[in-house]
Amino acid sequence: MNGFQAQELTRVIEIDQKKCKGCDSCSSFCPTKATHGKYGWVHSVDTEKCVFCGQCLVNCPFGAPKDVVDPVDKVIGKLNNKNVTVVTSVAPSVRVAIGEEFGMEPGSLVTEKMYGALLKAGFVVGDTNYAADVCIMEEGSELIEKIRHYMLGEPTEHHLGAVPQFTSCCPAWVRYVELNYPQLIPNLSSAKSPMMMHGALMKTYGASQLWKKKPEDVFVVAVMPCTAKKFEAARPEFTNAAHYWREKGEQGSYPDVDAVLTTRDLARLFKKLGINLASESGVEDNGPMAQYTGAGTIFGNTGGVMEAALRTAHFVITGKELAPIDFKPVRGLKGVKEASVTITDAKTGKNVTLNLAVVHGIKNNIKPVADQIVAGASKYHFIEVMNCPGGCINGGGQPINPMGTSWLDKAKAVLPWS
Amino acid sequence: MANYDYDYVEKAVEVSRREFVGILGVVGAVLWTSAYVATDLIQDRTKYIKMRAQGLYKDDGKSKVRQSHNNPAVTEMYKNFAGAPLSSLSEELFHTRYVDRTKLV
Amino acid sequence: MKYYDPNAPRVLKHGLSSRLYHWGLMLGFIPAAITGLIIWLKPGGEDFVNLAMRIHIIGAVILTVSSLVYAIVSMDRIVAFNRVNFTWDSRDVGWFMKGGGYLQKMLLGWEVDLPPMDKVNSGQKLFGIGMLYGGMVLIVTGWILYAFIPVSPKSFIYWANLGHLALGIFLAMFLCVHIFLSIYNWGEFRCMFFENGTQPLEEARHHTPLWVANKVIPVRPGVSTTCLCGKEKG
Repeated sequence: MNGFQAQELTRVIEIDQKKCKGCDSCSSFCPTKATHGKYGWVHSVDTEKCVFCGQCLVNCPFGAPKDVVDPVDKVIGKLNNKNVTVVTSVAPSVRVAIGEEFGMEPGSLVTEKMYGALLKAGFVVGDTNYAADVCIMEEGSELIEKIRHYMLGEPTEHHLGAVPQFTSCCPAWVRYVELNYPQLIPNLSSAKSPMMMHGALMKTYGASQLWKKKPEDVFVVAVMPCTAKKFEAARPEFTNAAHYWREKGEQGSYPDVDAVLTTRDLARLFKKLGINLASESGVEDNGPMAQYTGAGTIFGNTGGVMEAALRTAHFVITGKELAPIDFKPVRGLKGVKEASVTITDAKTGKNVTLNLAVVHGIKNNIKPVADQIVAGASKYHFIEVMNCPGGCINGGGQPINPMGTSWLDKAKAVLPWS
Repeated sequence: MANYDYDYVEKAVEVSRREFVGILGVVGAVLWTSAYVATDLIQDRTKYIKMRAQGLYKDDGKSKVRQSHNNPAVTEMYKNFAGAPLSSLSEELFHTRYVDRTKLV
Repeated sequence: MKYYDPNAPRVLKHGLSSRLYHWGLMLGFIPAAITGLIIWLKPGGEDFVNLAMRIHIIGAVILTVSSLVYAIVSMDRIVAFNRVNFTWDSRDVGWFMKGGGYLQKMLLGWEVDLPPMDKVNSGQKLFGIGMLYGGMVLIVTGWILYAFIPVSPKSFIYWANLGHLALGIFLAMFLCVHIFLSIYNWGEFRCMFFENGTQPLEEARHHTPLWVANKVIPVRPGVSTTCLCGKEKG
């Protein structure tokens, strides 16, 4: 099969041939034309084109696309194993959606109840929002290095990529670039996604300094709103923790993130263990791997990564905190949002104007932006890209909302023929 | 060809004014209600996304610390472990390379 | 079959507008019903079912357009149709008790006495209700399922799909009965297709006595009876 590394996951989304009606609505949502099949005939997923985002899954009225990676039983097995410390990395988007699987309204903020349910199930609680803060430190520093080097002309000792810089937290977006715009790979931030940073940290810093466990006895379970994260965790290069320990003389070969549960998978796990999240009370403080700021938690929204990065970049460059702290121009469901920020560099006194863009729902919105960069005509310095319309909160792993769809454009008739 | 002229017809349909208004009323009510419900449902199709987004902004609003660089646990981690952003350990654990998949067969 | 008397008085049963609409129904509904079953069962292969889907859409367009035109041009016929379909009394019960007399005639050759019927018999009233209201639901759900899935709530689409399929199967089966009986009653078939919608008055009096007694009147003098529009011109 083309486009896969050795030992990479190649199957995440498959279409149930008995349920598919051939209505072609999955094709209306697929960003890469990966759903094959003529109108009326059962459709199938072309994995060489699929970026595993799951938009077909959450939008199909008949529940035909299925997530075929099911680690729930494996995770329950590890939870029952006294010798294994099972740690979670729970994404921001999970806490405003998992309540829906237990009868609550969309958007119910159930962080404490979620923590309580996780503790009851036997997990040690880690929160991806903490790693999102680390991600801002890393990616923000990378961006500031580029600003200092490319815009202020200062020398650098880092190996820097190109400007404009794309965010790289979205694994569907990363695979999209790798498949369709490889010439833009230098523009992708070298920073990993928060989930992958968190896994590496938990098996190094977490294992040795916080929990005093052997890294091979730490089983990292990421809980994500995203089906593409299952693909990301299985990327063969993400064994940095094991590599770190091998350099120190230890043995062992294990991935940084062992298993990925979608929000739906976690709800199923709770129900299997007889835990009703809605009736849980919770614990607020769960240790350093779960401490987060407001900037980290908004990562799930389109524009959230940009706003979080801006809060830190502003402080690092100007020495002053961003005020007002809510940066509204990057919020909302418009397909491409732009903002321009002029700040004064505290070190040199020079003014720097940053042109920012936020893209989500890449099916319709990324091509003009990417083509402009390829043509060398882009005015942007930093671009946040999220594959899913609305951001990760509307990811392929989230609870399926029966009254909604991801169609953000103007309501119009779609007329399939072939 | 045979001639199919006719000598008898059905009486014209009589609709009294009352009946006419009644029919108009029912048809109008059905059409207006369905149009209203349909536009409502269609306009609200992304409401669940907005509600989830509001939940996260609410979480941001009530956080004690709202900037990543002010997270004490993150500062602690850099102090005791990774050193600083973009340090060599940070590069090793927090950064990655990508793959040109058009060249992977 | 009665001996054909070319001078016998005739009554206009189906006007031109109705006959044309009937053609529209045939060209629209029949391909849609057949291809609808193909789309449901998905036999053959990808190209075959895709072709069936395209024919289904074309049939649906013909059905929708001809229905809209008929509703605008001949709303009075729809009102008459609806009125007679919803007029029920003990005579209809009697008709059903004897099964319309069909099986007795077809299998045993007996002619059974039936209660007097209006322009449509009791079975036709059921078919009429099914086609008028079921047809409207099929048309509305059909267009939503074709053109508006991405913007509609998923649960609505799920139930609309189920309803469209169930109604389609039901009406397609009822249609088979209609086609069979319309051929079996060859006089009716001739009336609709070969005799400009007219029928000998005596034949009408035999099959639809209430209609002839209560709703049929002589054409007024001075009015053309060869005009194909079938309406009284005054």
